[in-house]
Parts: sequence; structure tokens; C-alpha cells
Amino acid sequence: MDSFKQNDGNRDELIIQQQRDIEKEISDSTPLVGEQLPLTCLWAEYNGDDVFTAKIQDLAKKYKFIRRTRPDGNCFFRAFAYSYMEYLISNNSAYKEFQKLAEDSKDKLVELGFPSFTLEDFHETFMEVIRRVSPDNPGGYNKVQSELHKIFNEQGYSDYVVVYLRLITSGKLQEEAEFYQNFIEGDFTIEEFRHQEVEPMFKESDHIHIIALCAALGAGVRVEYLDRGEGCIVKAHDFPEGTEPTIYLIYRPGHYDILYPN
Amino acid sequence: MKWRNLGAAPLPACCRNTCERRPDPPLCLLQEDPPTGVSGAPTDNNIMIWNAVIFGPHDTPFEDGTFKLTIEFTEEYPNKPPTVRFVSKVFHPNVYADGGICLDILQNRWSPTYDVSAILTSIQSLLSDPNPNSPANSTAAQLYKENRREYEKRVKACVEQSFID
Repeated sequence: MDSFKQNDGNRDELIIQQQRDIEKEISDSTPLVGEQLPLTCLWAEYNGDDVFTAKIQDLAKKYKFIRRTRPDGNCFFRAFAYSYMEYLISNNSAYKEFQKLAEDSKDKLVELGFPSFTLEDFHETFMEVIRRVSPDNPGGYNKVQSELHKIFNEQGYSDYVVVYLRLITSGKLQEEAEFYQNFIEGDFTIEEFRHQEVEPMFKESDHIHIIALCAALGAGVRVEYLDRGEGCIVKAHDFPEGTEPTIYLIYRPGHYDILYPN
Repeated sequence: MKWRNLGAAPLPACCRNTCERRPDPPLCLLQEDPPTGVSGAPTDNNIMIWNAVIFGPHDTPFEDGTFKLTIEFTEEYPNKPPTVRFVSKVFHPNVYADGGICLDILQNRWSPTYDVSAILTSIQSLLSDPNPNSPANSTAAQLYKENRREYEKRVKACVEQSFID
């Protein structure tokens, strides 16, 4: 058995260890979801860069605040969930509708073939989070908002919400596989894509994730793209197109944060 | 039904709610819906480390083998996969010399919905269907592709070894 390639195994472990160290550094220094900050705090990050300074100025005309999320590959899902629930806290009828949809989603996922035994865990936690941010809870908006913030910074809850949204997204891709196959580059089948790019935690999201999640939940997202692209204007994109957004996000290459319109 | 959350970071759901609903850990996994040919249970003194056995699948050279494994959970489970290793010697294109397993669902295709049954069942199918294009043991991969008889002979030696272990 002398020809076993032991070194490869060790190398894998070293790489995994290094990844862990980097993740730990990020998690020690950045909360899962931060406090609301004035949008112009972004200037500090691009100190002196003309293109970005101009673009942030443009963005500041439309948005007052930004709320950062931890850059751990789950940022889209976490930002989406936080922002959407913040909207739901102040909109009782949308909240009720969403609660019903979330309640029914488990059976739908089981029908699509997800294992009910483990799905139940995530669903239960997801429903618990929704109950805890009900607009009917005593104390009014501010109290419920601070509960939301607390929940989203407790790793156990926060990550379970992300997992569940990933499963909903994956379910939507499967349900309408024929349609979503068109968005997938390369030789990936929808099945492979779901298992490799959607369901695993810490995998970054692309347009296809956003479109599928919005479609599954009936929600609208506006994403503002802040990058080095031409012009002094920040380009926005609505998902699905033509829908009035309830969630506002800023995308900088590789990362999503939450925006608050004026 | 909450056994699965034992490792969820940082505060398992079983503790967040009440512990009443949680069955005894060793009983909860494979009695619910026991898949054939695999079994597993936490070790006596550490619930994060499980011992498991996979029986060699029928109609493969692994048939009749009883291969022991350890499954080591971290507090990041189920967000991240546990570390799974064969303790028994296994001659297979996707098993490293130290027992480490090269399997996509334990790496980049891990889904938080996988439980111990799903992991063991996947490893069992890997025994039946090796992927010689992503070898962890290049000799096994080469023999699997080019000299199936010799491959089967080496596998059978492991099967016999597994009785003694």
C-alpha cells in the first residue's frame, strides 16, 4: 500500500485549516448584521478614489443609511432576510401573507423531495423567528426591530434562517428547472447547481439565486451596483423586473449589504 | 427528533427550546428510518464523535465487508460537514491512506439537510461506484480502470481484514 498518496490528504487539511483561520478572523471582527450607519461612511473605504466618491455621492441622493452584513458567502441571504423582515414588521398584512407562505413551504419542499426529517428543524426555527418579529408583538416597531437585530446576530438562529432560504431557493430551481436551466452557464445541470452552489452554506449568490428566491416568496429586490464601471451613476436592477421593491441592497463585487431609501 | 441539532452553533436548538423532545441520542438516528447496510451511534463519552459501520454493498467486491468509520462533528454542524474517516483499511480509488474520504457531499456539495444516514448511504454508494477520475489512491484508481481483477483482489483482501479488525 506504499503508493497511497498521503500527501494529498495532508494538503487538503492544510487548505481547510487556512480557510478556517480566515473565516475566524472575519467572524471575530464583523458582526453577522451590523448597526445602521450613514451611507456616506462608505467614503472612508474608498478614500480619495474619484470614481467611487462620485458614485457614493449619487447613491446618497437616494439612500440615507447602510447596514453591513458579514462577508461570509451568506451575505445575500442574510441581508435579504433581515431587510424583508424589517419591511414585514411595519406591514401587518404582508407579514400575515408571508407567515402563511412560510408555514406552507415545508410541505412543498417535502413534496419536491427534500428530507422531511432534517427539513423540519430548519422550518421550525424559521417559523419561530417569524413569530418573534410579529408586528403584533407588544412594544411596537422599535421593540420588534431590536428583537430582529438580536436574533440575526445569534449565529444559531441567523444561520438557520439562511439555510432555510437556501432550501426554498433550491426548491424553486427544481420546481421550474426548465426555465432556470437557461441561466446556468457551463455544463451544470440544475440538479448539480442546486447541490453545489445553492444548498451549501457560505456559497455566494448570483442573479439566479436572487430571481428564484424572489419568485418563491413573491418579494421584490432592488440591487444597486457599486463598482468601477463607467459613469458617475450607480446602476440599479430590480428583481423581478418591473416589481416594486421592498428590499434594497447594495452590491459591491462579491458582497451584499442592506440599504435604506430616503 | 432534535438530535441533529446537538452540534448547531453556538446554542443548539435543543437547548434553545426545551430538551424534553429530544430522544436519547443513540436511539434517534437509525431507528426512525433505518437505511439498509449502515449503522452508527455516538461514542459513550463524546456525543460529537460517532462510530459507524458500513456493510459492503452486494454484488460488489466489497460484499460481506464490515467497514468501521468515525464521524467527527464540530459545533459548526450542520452548516459544515463532519469529518468522516474509515478506521478499517479500505482499498478504494476515493479513500486516502489515512482513511479520509474524497466525496463531494463531504466537501463542496455538503447540504445542511444531510444527516448521518444520508452521509453513510452516500459513502456506501461510493464503494459501489468509485470515481477514478478524482483519485485519493492512485493505485486503486489505476487498477480499477485498467486491471479490474487485480483491483478486486486487493479489495477482497481489505474485506477479509475487516473481519479481524
